[in-house]
Amino acid sequence: MSKELITLSHISKSFDGQLILDDLNLVIHENEFVTLLGPSGCGKTTTLRIIGGFETPDAGKVIFDGEDITALAPNKRQLNTVFQKYALFTHMDIAENIAFGLRIKNKTDQYIKDKISYALKLVNLEGYEHRMPDSLSGGQQQRIAIARAIVNEPKVLLLDEPLGALDLKLRQDMQYELIRLKKELGITFIYVTHDQEEALTMSDHIVVMNQGYIQQEGSPEDIYNEPENAFVADFIGDSNIITATMVRDELVRILGVEFACVDKGFGTEKPVDVVIRPEDVELVPRGQGQLAGVVTHIIFKGVHYEMEVQAGGFEWLVHSTKESPVGTEVDIRVDPFNIQVMNKPESEDEQALGVEDV
Amino acid sequence: MNSKTRPAEKIYMAVIFLFMYAPIVTLIVLSFNKSKSRAKWGGFTFQWYLNLVRDSEVLNAMANTLIIALIATVVSTLIGTAASVALTGMKRRTRSLIMGVTNIPMINADIVTGISLMLLFKVLHFDAGFVTVLIAHITFDIPYVMLSVLPRMKTISPSVYEAALDLGARPFFAFRKTILPDLAPSILSGALMAFTMSIDDFIITYFTKGSGFDTLSTKIYSEVKRGIRPEIYALSAIIFVAVLILLLLSDRMKAQTGKLASRARSAGNQKIKKIGAVIAVAAASIAIILMALTFGGVFSKKSTQVFVYNAGEYIDPDVIELFREETGIEVVYDEFESNEIMYAKVAADGAAYDVLCPSDYMIAKLIDNDMLMKLDWSELPNAQEYIGRQYYNSASAFDPANEYAVPYCWGTVGILYNKELVSAPVTSWDVLWDPQYKGEILMQDSIRDAFMVALARRGFSINSVNPDEISLATQDLIEQAPLVQAYVIDQVRDKMIGGEAAMGVIYSGEAIYTQRENENLDYVIPDEGSNVWIDAWVIPREARNAENALKWIDFLCRPEIALMNFEYITYSTPNTAAQEMIEDELIRNSKIAFPDEETLSRCDTYISLGEEGDRLYNEAWKKVKSAN
Amino acid sequence: MWKMFKDRRKAGALASPYFAWALIFILVPLMMILWYGFTDDAGVFTMANILSIAQPEHAKSLLLALELSVISTVICFLLAYPLGMILAKNRMSSQGIITTIFILPMWMNFLLRTFSWMTLLENHGVINGVLEFLHLPQIRVINTPGAIVIGMVYNFLPFMIMPIYNSLAKIDENVINAARDLGANPVQTFLRVTLPLTVPGIISGVTMVFIPALTTFAISTMLGGSKILLIGNVIEQEFTLTYDWHLGSGLSIVLMIFIVVNMVVSLISEKKDEQ
Repeated sequence: MSKELITLSHISKSFDGQLILDDLNLVIHENEFVTLLGPSGCGKTTTLRIIGGFETPDAGKVIFDGEDITALAPNKRQLNTVFQKYALFTHMDIAENIAFGLRIKNKTDQYIKDKISYALKLVNLEGYEHRMPDSLSGGQQQRIAIARAIVNEPKVLLLDEPLGALDLKLRQDMQYELIRLKKELGITFIYVTHDQEEALTMSDHIVVMNQGYIQQEGSPEDIYNEPENAFVADFIGDSNIITATMVRDELVRILGVEFACVDKGFGTEKPVDVVIRPEDVELVPRGQGQLAGVVTHIIFKGVHYEMEVQAGGFEWLVHSTKESPVGTEVDIRVDPFNIQVMNKPESEDEQALGVEDV
Repeated sequence: MNSKTRPAEKIYMAVIFLFMYAPIVTLIVLSFNKSKSRAKWGGFTFQWYLNLVRDSEVLNAMANTLIIALIATVVSTLIGTAASVALTGMKRRTRSLIMGVTNIPMINADIVTGISLMLLFKVLHFDAGFVTVLIAHITFDIPYVMLSVLPRMKTISPSVYEAALDLGARPFFAFRKTILPDLAPSILSGALMAFTMSIDDFIITYFTKGSGFDTLSTKIYSEVKRGIRPEIYALSAIIFVAVLILLLLSDRMKAQTGKLASRARSAGNQKIKKIGAVIAVAAASIAIILMALTFGGVFSKKSTQVFVYNAGEYIDPDVIELFREETGIEVVYDEFESNEIMYAKVAADGAAYDVLCPSDYMIAKLIDNDMLMKLDWSELPNAQEYIGRQYYNSASAFDPANEYAVPYCWGTVGILYNKELVSAPVTSWDVLWDPQYKGEILMQDSIRDAFMVALARRGFSINSVNPDEISLATQDLIEQAPLVQAYVIDQVRDKMIGGEAAMGVIYSGEAIYTQRENENLDYVIPDEGSNVWIDAWVIPREARNAENALKWIDFLCRPEIALMNFEYITYSTPNTAAQEMIEDELIRNSKIAFPDEETLSRCDTYISLGEEGDRLYNEAWKKVKSAN
Repeated sequence: MWKMFKDRRKAGALASPYFAWALIFILVPLMMILWYGFTDDAGVFTMANILSIAQPEHAKSLLLALELSVISTVICFLLAYPLGMILAKNRMSSQGIITTIFILPMWMNFLLRTFSWMTLLENHGVINGVLEFLHLPQIRVINTPGAIVIGMVYNFLPFMIMPIYNSLAKIDENVINAARDLGANPVQTFLRVTLPLTVPGIISGVTMVFIPALTTFAISTMLGGSKILLIGNVIEQEFTLTYDWHLGSGLSIVLMIFIVVNMVVSLISEKKDEQ
């Protein structure tokens, strides 16, 4: 693994007596595309602003490249930010916007000129030098905001929900654009979003946050396939989250029926939550599966059909490429490795850290 | 961002706050001042608040102010909102052109707006008064509404409105249900701004108001020059405190409903809030209208009226009340600051007033210009019997056949000085040119009196129209200007009482009052001579209620009424019967109130200067005033 | 901008009361001033009324009015900008407070407030009383141009604070953060970003202070002891004292030239802003 670039240790921050971040610890490695993912109010933006220097933590340290920068002013940090809603300088044209940081650093005119054309080329907006920001579309403004940041050659680029204001198609295009940029520039990106799809598409490393706590960290695959708690499971993709009982290692009782699974170490006869992704639920003819049910609802979604199946007193969400009309009597089958067992929160406090916030 | 307010910032805000509110606190304190003079603290009193209830003049002005502001706000809000909505449907170019026109009253100087409207009303022969002021207020209120509504209108998304239309709603219904709620806060703040501007306006009202109609602003301005009556402080304090309480309450209500709403976002709450706001606005409006109906001169145009135009503080208010009670005639009473201003008003609208009280030289000018009505003496028995013959004789200087004028007050012009600040005995006008008293001298802010002083000092006639003499006098006055603290009219009184100045040119009537308040003051008629003046009642030729005017004049000539008046205003009365009835021996024999023959022989009355003379004086006066 | 009206004529109908009003009570009266200003008693065209501004006493009053109003405007700006920044920074955006603080005094009549300054500033007034109590030197400001400037600043300060505060509050906090992020220190951020972004607010504030200050006659009468004649006083006297409407209108037109210049400047900046 590459070297540690930014370390947040024991960061706490509250506003108006409300705790936003509570003893947060996070390590960001060089050249990673890290995404802070979570619902609004989870503390992800505050974390980013602390790294950028726009907020001072109440407690804890920010270490950058081995140096404590907790109290350093934003203009002295070797990182740049792409802000929500772009935050372009509306009183300057595009070239002046991009040149802003370079002029502050007293670079030569030639250097600045070269940088502007390089940056505009990089974001595919050549020839826009003398347009005013207000005359550009949202996507174009976003590219300018990125260009403005990267001409300063930061070691880290912070992106605060940069695609939030764009429409779906544009958002998808920009996702690829950002991946390309990241590769070309070879620097660290720290990306904040509440959109799990964005996070899964672009990131090397995802940090799922809720109510000021990190819920889970890992690669997109880890996060998707093995959510550690109901919150993560619910937040990332659609899921069937069902209360169950761990009978013993590798056996779990779901809705009164025992299912084989691969998880161990939860004890015996312990209440747990299980997560089963809709695409992992197989519908088989009656008698061939583990749990009997009836299809109650079906919609065609393009790639697959989305169905609801009433089985064992629970409404199962099922994705399948095969159509089963409403009323079809089916059985449900789940492979052991597709059952993700999670600890059930024991106290109300713990519950609060988990599901339901949005 | 750092959301803590630093101490330096707090101090800065406190300083600005102090700057904004020091004058207001001062006014509130003055409203409890027992002394009528603002220069002196005479102890604590609630008297002015109690007087307020009976002071129909001030209450009238207040009611007019409120009703004008209310109607102007409603009309301008309707017109302005409709226009703002419509503008969004227009071409960009049309829109900017229209906004340009809209901005004119806002950007244009108030004085230009006021004058331009005044000229319009004059040319259209609109009777200046309630309606003209209302039109003017609507005109300058509309931009405030539009500037508040238009930007909000630009940000409103059309989709809901379009959806409503799509569902078959008629355009107005759709507008009311979808756009109006979004627009409401900006309409409200525009309306509030318009209302505030309307309440606070002075200049535009000043130029567009007619006779007998005053808002609080114009009322105050006419009183400023001679010292504001304390009732107005009291009224302003009440308004201020009422608005303060209202604002605090609404802030608190907002905070509370906000809390409630965040706790439970129930639609019912919202509705209650809305209904509450509507009720509050409705209640306020009804209160204003009721008040206006009770006190307002707005809707009263009865036939039994008399429009009186008198100099400031020149009558006992109880006398007006007595007249009203006895005759049933409604008195619309207006005050002017100077003869020149009175003349300008009457020249503009000869039917504005039924009876005037100008000074001698101005009466001559009015007669010259055929602006007065010959009096029917058979209707004036008291005037014939009780006004001393000698005063009619003096009056013949400006009214040769005693056809037009009934003397009301008379007196001299002299120097009032503070014995503690001026050691040498004052005998000559020269003292007003003594550099020793630099910044301690108050001059009269009136053309004739100022030139009278300069002309008399040089031994010229006080009615001189000789350009050389005038030019010398002008030079003298310019030379004197740096020594002068201020050019004032009746304020000489307050300033002398408060010890603000060592000496001032003043009318004899004021001298008696000021001596009562400050015993260090003394009044002198300089040896070079001075002006003896007579103010008299006259009736304009175009007066609408001449009969009532005659009743008014004769009523004032009753000895007991004249006495009452004399005791209140302390200006010498020509009513010989009243003179004899004065109880206080000191005053009855006062040299100031009733100077001896020898002194009077040194004094002259003013006569009209004629058009050319007026022009000469006016130009010379402008030179003096801009000499500083 | 969206189109609420598919039919322009409907929009026109809705705006027609306003058009009528603007035509009759804004444009026509202005024409009247022009007409009076360019004619004499006999109704004959003349430039004399306009040119009379060159007379020493008129020119002097205009220059003095310009001087005092420029000084007042600058002082208002210097006082209002930091205040606007403090208010915007502390997010006192709950408009309530702003209106409460700065609109509230307007409910105490404008003339009374100014009059009150007389009581405060007089040689034996309240301020000197306080200074005497503190054994500090006395001020002698009443009836001087200084007192007029105080009166102007006092009366027109809210008109400077409000637009500046509004334009400051409108700035996205992230725009300021972006400047800092790009390496600008607080001073650079202020000069290169904050200040330029508030230019429209500053211009409207300057307009709303400068014009009324330039044309006032009440403040100069009250606090200048009628000794100091501003152009507003001259015009007022032409209408109410010497009764020469033509001369008064002519001088008003001269004043309007300054107003038009101001309007053009703000229009240009507005256009630039819209681009």
